[in-house]
Amino acid sequence: MASLSLVDATKEFDGDGGGIVAVDHLDLDIQDGEFLVLVGPSGCGKSTTLRMVAGLESPTSGEIAIDEEVIHDQTPQERDIAMVFQSYALYPHMTVRRNMAFGLEESTDQSADEIDERVTEVAETLDIGELLDRKPGALSGGQQQRVALGRAIVRDPKVFLLDEPLSNLDAKLRAEMRTELQRLQEELGVTTVYVTHDQTEAMTMSDRIAILDGGKLQQVGTPMQCYHEPANLFVAGFIGEPSMNFFDVSLDGRTLVSEEFEYTLSEETVTEVEASTDLVLGIRPEDVEIAAESGEENQFRAVVDVVEPHGNENAVHLHFAEGDGRTFTVTIGGMRRLDGGQTVGVRFPENAIHLFDAETGETVRNRVFEEVEQVEQLGTSSAAR
Amino acid sequence: MAGSQDTATGSRTIGGGETDWRTRVETFSKSDFVRSFPYWFVPFSLVGMGVYGGIGWNTVISLTDYEGFDRPDYTNLDFSMYAQALSDPWVYLTAKNTLVLLIAFTTITLVLGLLLSILLDRGIRYKEKIQTIYLLPMALSFVVTAQFWLWMYNVNNGLVNAVVGVFGLGPFNWIGNPDLVLGAVIFALIWQYSGYAMVVFLAGLQAIPDDQFEAAHIDGAGVFKTYWRVIIPQLKSSSVSAAVVLMVFALKAFTFLYAMFGQYRVPKATDILATLMVREAFMLQHWAYAAAIGTILLVMALAVVAPYLWYQYGQGSL
Repeated sequence: MASLSLVDATKEFDGDGGGIVAVDHLDLDIQDGEFLVLVGPSGCGKSTTLRMVAGLESPTSGEIAIDEEVIHDQTPQERDIAMVFQSYALYPHMTVRRNMAFGLEESTDQSADEIDERVTEVAETLDIGELLDRKPGALSGGQQQRVALGRAIVRDPKVFLLDEPLSNLDAKLRAEMRTELQRLQEELGVTTVYVTHDQTEAMTMSDRIAILDGGKLQQVGTPMQCYHEPANLFVAGFIGEPSMNFFDVSLDGRTLVSEEFEYTLSEETVTEVEASTDLVLGIRPEDVEIAAESGEENQFRAVVDVVEPHGNENAVHLHFAEGDGRTFTVTIGGMRRLDGGQTVGVRFPENAIHLFDAETGETVRNRVFEEVEQVEQLGTSSAAR
Repeated sequence: MAGSQDTATGSRTIGGGETDWRTRVETFSKSDFVRSFPYWFVPFSLVGMGVYGGIGWNTVISLTDYEGFDRPDYTNLDFSMYAQALSDPWVYLTAKNTLVLLIAFTTITLVLGLLLSILLDRGIRYKEKIQTIYLLPMALSFVVTAQFWLWMYNVNNGLVNAVVGVFGLGPFNWIGNPDLVLGAVIFALIWQYSGYAMVVFLAGLQAIPDDQFEAAHIDGAGVFKTYWRVIIPQLKSSSVSAAVVLMVFALKAFTFLYAMFGQYRVPKATDILATLMVREAFMLQHWAYAAAIGTILLVMALAVVAPYLWYQYGQGSL
């Protein structure tokens, strides 16, 4: 159990014609027992950050500490961390038992019996007890994944580091392992840093998400905060699938003017955004309302291009009837049917739109985000009555 | 496919034996065995005649009493030559030398090659060039390196004595001293082949992904333990292939010795089965006896290679 903090952590690599900054003055605090997901596109510095915590890279400057104790100049052995690699990195010549025992043998003074007992115990919780005497080559991808997890769990580390551990699994197994990892992390209560490029994993698994781009931290927050109150244009576009629709607009009085539409803002909103005139309007696909044309304010005409049915919902790609036909995406209920070529009316509800500064990308105004509604527990509510 | 065809024709032509026979021939002529015949038969027969035919004929000659310039007499085959060999102290001596050469040369070359490859793999600069420098001796002919080492070992003005002289040792008569000459020959062979072993190991090392090192590092293993427990065990197949090649070279070190000493009779301390065999055959025309020694050499070589073949078989790679 431990907290982990990175203060001003920077990593530069030598490249042709000067250093390449992989991680740029990163400040991050991870609380005891927290599940933090580092997410970002490839090359954003998330893996480098994890490797700095693991001790596989040393930071060019800045500080990394576990429980207030500076660790970035320690060897991995002294840091009390365990890591799961993307490729699992199991030792192919050792049995599962030996693979799991290796870390304990090398980093602790425990007796062979103690180690064996611990390995067996962890293997049971991971449901790989019967695989202990097999070699990694004889295991399926999912089983290897479990062994890699077991190898890390067995060491009972202060901090658990996972580097894209699910990316080599097929979609179904990945979804299962997501749930299982979350369950395990809750059971063990170990502080966990999880690196992924997959925003779905970030949204579904984390207590908090840290979004990186170009080595810089963009936002840290709960999944709901990152989704509904993105700090900037990058986060808004990165989190969410299908991603948010963006339109370049300029503010003229109370009106947002774009090539395709004119959007009238309420007085209150205008006062929030007055400072800048070049803006980007963002709206999530599920927030766009599709209805028959009624000619009411802030409703625009659009033509349906393609409909992708997902069963529970339909992703509809449309383009504006006016202007140069920019496309955007809307999700509607799976039972509502639209056909290609159909002209419909679309409306952007004002409480659902985000506005970003076109130049800096900073958020100027986020959607109205009410508190999350808690589903009442069945037992207590009936007891109250 | 063939089976189902057989049953179909069988049921149709009960009593019609001739049609059945024809279908069988037709099926046979379309089978993979016959159709692939022109491709595998040529190499198979060449290898068969060249290698196994040679071994067989050699074995037959070793059972005769063939000597001198007559024709061999195949009517009276017995093991008298093997009996003679087993009671010949010289055979024991050369067999012992062969084993010493085989084991010392192979082991030291492998260990040296492994160390060199690990050093190179740890990212020494100019890796490519260094690799070429070490591999270069391998490209030289035995005749060249033998002559070259003969000069190096010269008692009076050889480079080796000049070097040990710096430390106040010697001069040693590397070639003339029976206690030193085998060691000197082994050293020269190691010099020539360690580069080869290095290249084989280097290829093996580079096939091991970085995350193996990283995982061991995270698991708390130091550099030595990482290599000893994680990396070197994964070089098993590299070491097996390198070892087999080196052993075969050690057994046929005749070329090197012959080139070094310029005659069939080499110093007693370096006399190995291969030199003895050539001497018996081509100096003394004891054809049958030489053939028997050759067979003994073959059995030794098989005994050396057999455990590795067994290991490969056990791993399922054979």
